[in-house]
Parts: sequence; C-alpha cells; structure tokens
Amino acid sequence: MSLLSVLPIAGSGMAAQAERLSTVASNLANANSSLTSTGQPYRAREVVFAAVSPDVEASGAAALGAAGVRVAAVVESDAPLRRVYDPGSSFADQSGYVQAPNVDPVQEMVNMISAQQDYQANLEAFNVAKTLALKTLSI
Amino acid sequence: MLGAAGGLEFFRQVLELRGYRQQILSADLANASTPGFKAVDLDFREALAAAAAPDTADRIWLVDDPRQLPRPGGGTPKSAAEAVKYLIDRPVTLDGNSVDLDREKVAAADNGVQYEAAATFASQTIKMLATAIGGSSPSGAGA
Repeated sequence: MSLLSVLPIAGSGMAAQAERLSTVASNLANANSSLTSTGQPYRAREVVFAAVSPDVEASGAAALGAAGVRVAAVVESDAPLRRVYDPGSSFADQSGYVQAPNVDPVQEMVNMISAQQDYQANLEAFNVAKTLALKTLSI
Repeated sequence: MLGAAGGLEFFRQVLELRGYRQQILSADLANASTPGFKAVDLDFREALAAAAAPDTADRIWLVDDPRQLPRPGGGTPKSAAEAVKYLIDRPVTLDGNSVDLDREKVAAADNGVQYEAAATFASQTIKMLATAIGGSSPSGAGA
C-alpha cells in the first residue's frame, strides 16, 4: 500500500536531518578546538545528502518516483583555517599566531534553522500519512 | 446495486492514487536539501483518467512490481509512476534543488483532505450497500 511507504520516506528524511543537526552541534561544540586527534585544528564538517529510491533494486521502477534520502558522505570543509593572534599559547607559531578551526558560527546557525524546518516538514508528512492510514482503517 | 459497487471501485482507485501522491510529496519533502534533486509531482488528473478508463493498453494499474500478473480483461500493468512529472518553471537553488517547502506542505495537506474525502465517500458507499443487502441501516437499531 502506497500510503504506508510514506512512513519510511519521511523517516529517512527525519534521520538525515537529525544527522545534519548533530553535525552542526559538533561544529559549534568544536568551534575553538585547536587540536584534534590528528594534531590539526578541527575542520567544519558538512553532510552530503543523496536521494535514494527504495524500489530501484526491487523492481527497476522508473527513476522518477518516490525517493527517500540518505547521508551519502560527511565531508570536511576546505575553507582556510582561522589564524588567531595568541603569542602566549603553546601552539603559537613564530609570529605568535595559532591556527583555529574554520567553523563559521553564522553559517552553522543558518544550517541549523534549515535542518529544523526540513525536519518539521518531514514530521508533518509522517503525521498526515499516519492520520490517513488510520482513517482508511475505519472505512 | 451495480452503480454502488462501481463507485466503490472508483474510490479505491482514488485512494490508491492519493496515497501514491502523498508518497511523492513526502519524497520531495525528504529531499528538500539534497543537492541536484528536482521536485516532482503526480499529475492526478491524468493518472485518475488513465486508471478509471475502460480496460485498454493505456490503462494505469498501480502496481508494486512490474512482474505482477495482469488483471483479467486485458491491459498491461503500468505504473502510476508514469504520470509523475517534474515541476518546471520553479526557482532552483544554487545547489540545483528545486523543492519549494511551502508548496509541498500545502500540496500534502490538500492531498490529505482529498484522501479523507474519498475515504468518507467509500465508507458511505459501503453503508449504502449494507443497507441494500440488509434492508436496514447497519448502525440502526433494528435488524
């Protein structure tokens, strides 16, 4: 039944947005982490979404149809690292600069709001499908 | 009698296609941030016209799998996916995504109401048949 297939699609959207949100949280939490396990400053991470059609493998159905979403990759931003003047730090180079993460808090906030909206939209779609399925049961 | 039973079949098709459209719309919403994703929608008028048409080769069956057996009375099983079309003339963001969140939400709400309406009609049709069979209202006091 097609209505019940809405639930995994909306669910995949919610899961993907939740992962995006956790990436934003990770970036904000590490906005000042000058040292990670690699010895380098933290680099901002971004999720890459990709549409995935659930029935492509099952039936080879037309590509133009319902598709869920998945997180295809988490990539590190290649924006230049910030340089902060802090001659007292033990990580300072010869001219007194410390390399700091390339996290842009404004961009992260925008990303967060966008993730929130998308999550809500998915939740709405989920709830509508649930209501309709229940309504169908009462025919 | 026959008219009421035929109506039931019609509403079954409406419910299937509305459910399918809901699936398409929720896929658009799920991919609202996917780079390069282009919004699609079911052309409901075309799909229903094809689904409710008499048995011909053009008739759309909503099949889960193309290997499904054809129905008696002719017609090859076709997927309603063939009535799914790209939404053209929509603003496309820099990452190539053309999903308009507001439009999709409104369409999903509208589709939901239409689905409920069809479900109500189907329910009434069944009550009508039950009345015709039993001679009294199924929810009525007497049998």
